[in-house]
Amino acid sequence: MTKALKINKNAEQGIKEFLRFLLESGKVKGVFSLKKINKEGAVAYSLITDPKDLEDSVPFYPVMPVTAGSLLSRFTLKGSPDKPVVAVMRPCELRGFVELVKREQGSFENVFTISMTCGGVYPLDMAVDKKIEKNLPKYWDAVKKSEIPADVRTACKGCTEFKPYTADMTVDLVGNKDIDKQCIILLNTKNGESLADGMDAEFLEKKLDTKKLDVLLDKRAVEKKKLFDEIDKKMNGMDGLIDIFGRCIGCHGCMRVCPICYCKLCEFESPDSEYKPSNYNSELKKRGGVRVPPGTMYFQLGRLTHISISCVGCGACDDVCPVDIPVSTIFKKVGESVQKIFNYIPGKDVKESIPLVTFEKEEFIEFEE
Amino acid sequence: MSKSKETSTIKTAVLPAKSGTKKAILDFLKNAMDKKNFDAVIIPMRVPAGDSFVYVLIKDVSLLKDAFPLSPVMSVQGARVVSSVTRLGKGDMKIAAVMRPCEIRATIELAKFGQVDLENVTLISMDCPGVMPISDFLSDPEKGMKLFDDAVTSWDDSIMRPVCKICDKSSMIAGDIHIGTLGAKKDTFFMIPKTQKGNDTLEKSDIKIDADLDEWHNKVTTLSEEKKKKRNSANKDLKVKTGGIDNLIDTFSQCINCHNCMKVCPICFCRLCYFDSENVKHSAENYLQIAENKGSIRFLPDTILFQTGRMMHMSVSCVSCGSCEDACPASIPVGQIFSMIADETQKAFDYVSGRDINEPTPLVAYKKDELHEMEDAHD
Repeated sequence: MTKALKINKNAEQGIKEFLRFLLESGKVKGVFSLKKINKEGAVAYSLITDPKDLEDSVPFYPVMPVTAGSLLSRFTLKGSPDKPVVAVMRPCELRGFVELVKREQGSFENVFTISMTCGGVYPLDMAVDKKIEKNLPKYWDAVKKSEIPADVRTACKGCTEFKPYTADMTVDLVGNKDIDKQCIILLNTKNGESLADGMDAEFLEKKLDTKKLDVLLDKRAVEKKKLFDEIDKKMNGMDGLIDIFGRCIGCHGCMRVCPICYCKLCEFESPDSEYKPSNYNSELKKRGGVRVPPGTMYFQLGRLTHISISCVGCGACDDVCPVDIPVSTIFKKVGESVQKIFNYIPGKDVKESIPLVTFEKEEFIEFEE
Repeated sequence: MSKSKETSTIKTAVLPAKSGTKKAILDFLKNAMDKKNFDAVIIPMRVPAGDSFVYVLIKDVSLLKDAFPLSPVMSVQGARVVSSVTRLGKGDMKIAAVMRPCEIRATIELAKFGQVDLENVTLISMDCPGVMPISDFLSDPEKGMKLFDDAVTSWDDSIMRPVCKICDKSSMIAGDIHIGTLGAKKDTFFMIPKTQKGNDTLEKSDIKIDADLDEWHNKVTTLSEEKKKKRNSANKDLKVKTGGIDNLIDTFSQCINCHNCMKVCPICFCRLCYFDSENVKHSAENYLQIAENKGSIRFLPDTILFQTGRMMHMSVSCVSCGSCEDACPASIPVGQIFSMIADETQKAFDYVSGRDINEPTPLVAYKKDELHEMEDAHD
């Protein structure tokens, strides 16, 4: 059992009221949340300091224009806030931020997190086509019933980690039939408890209904297996990979939106990866023809090697790909197999070190032998 | 590259194309490679899966038969290709690059910026019916091939990129040789040399340059005038839709800061963009202060700063290719906007990007009278 806060309003109004309390009481200096930023209803992450501006916030809006992990990294990299700031983010976004913090690309100092059991988000192009708003009733209906809402991101359909590991507070959404009437916020940490302290609401002891979460988990696991099996058939050796990535236009958008790819200068955009005339000559000698710019596959496989240990499966790469390559399915599938070898779950615990930067004694022995 | 000649005095070669222009162009390239006029060719090829086209540097002449001089999509802007091949040295191969006019113009801009070495490169452009948005082609490649083939014959631009529909420079000769299909008699096409290098190339291939250019020229002028009209009216509408800061903010409201537009732009060659540099990154306290001034700020901030900043940096060289729009995951009409502004900035300097390699880029060259203007301003 955990301490929890019950606000007798629908989940979104409830969380907004809580955020307003946090800002008005001065417990936090700012709030990170999705917010409607114009009359047309475009939704973007915003840093909100005035409680009045919370009016247009839509903390649970099912879209992820940018991963909040990357945003918090930008926010804290050059110095943490003096006073607490609270961020509402999805479990995969939180995991992404944890991985960034491990890489010293951000800090939890004075950054508190509210996450939720997550129903998934719609692809960016649905936001662009303004198709999300009218889908919202269906979306919330599916979330209540522990179902996968139709048309959510591919990555979300097969996501089995929709319950946050380390959030200070978790909003109970998946499988919760009462989200139209009440907002239950679990206070997982001391920080969570102290933030909630003084809020004019009901305090109770509560835990997430695992049965209802398991219903969704099973559905997602089936979906994930289907996705992995499909891509497995296509990824058949080098030829299969060329068929999948052949249409890549080299924009590297996948890398730029990836919460794990934080490098300022990617190896594959560095002078090391550029072809000199001699490189072209030797390639031409071997094959008679060379695709220019070179290194399409090298980039994809290289990035896969670099980040798969920490891939949180958020699907931001899918959203941004202008040629609809199923990047996230491939990265998640390879990612999980690498993570399994090291018994590592990215973003689960900020104190757990990244396998590729630590050595264990027995690994040395393996090496010697 | 030698000094360019006036179009009116240019003569052209007329070549037979009994089995189609594509075959004839490939035969010309093969012949030129056999004669060692070129060691290699840069030309689009279809990817194995068939769902896109990419540029390939071909040295093995047998690969040429699968090349597509006029591909339905522009997955990578050709200027980036020539830059990749020559930026770190001109190499020892003589290369022919077969590209669209806007790609050649961008190549010339990059040459002015020292990002391309043209000494060993012969630029061959052709009358361009436009390219399809890559997502349209991808959704059904076979249908896309058919639609594009039809459009090449009918010169109907309705399936093309929005910027292609209003491109008035689709037959602009900026490279060394231009392949003209407009106004050509049945089963023939024009090869128009623009530079001495182009002239020599054709002569070395035993191609006679003795025909008049009038037919082509008239057709091109008519088409260009039509497009210009369309362009003016399209830009008028776009100006209303995007003009003023509020409309601009709305237009870019779905921008996710991926900077794909910049990555695929042939002109944006900087390795580290100012808008990705440390200069635009602040501490949490700074961000909070900015937020407090307004009550809230979009995060990441500076979306409009990036867009207008990039515009300031490259607008004078923008060739209106539309690659940025193809790459935008949020379907922002970024190519159309940049193209519209480019018209104005280039007009201010009486400059046309990529028109002539000998024409210096306005922002790096000073003219005497500009200095006077400056002096006067301080009087």
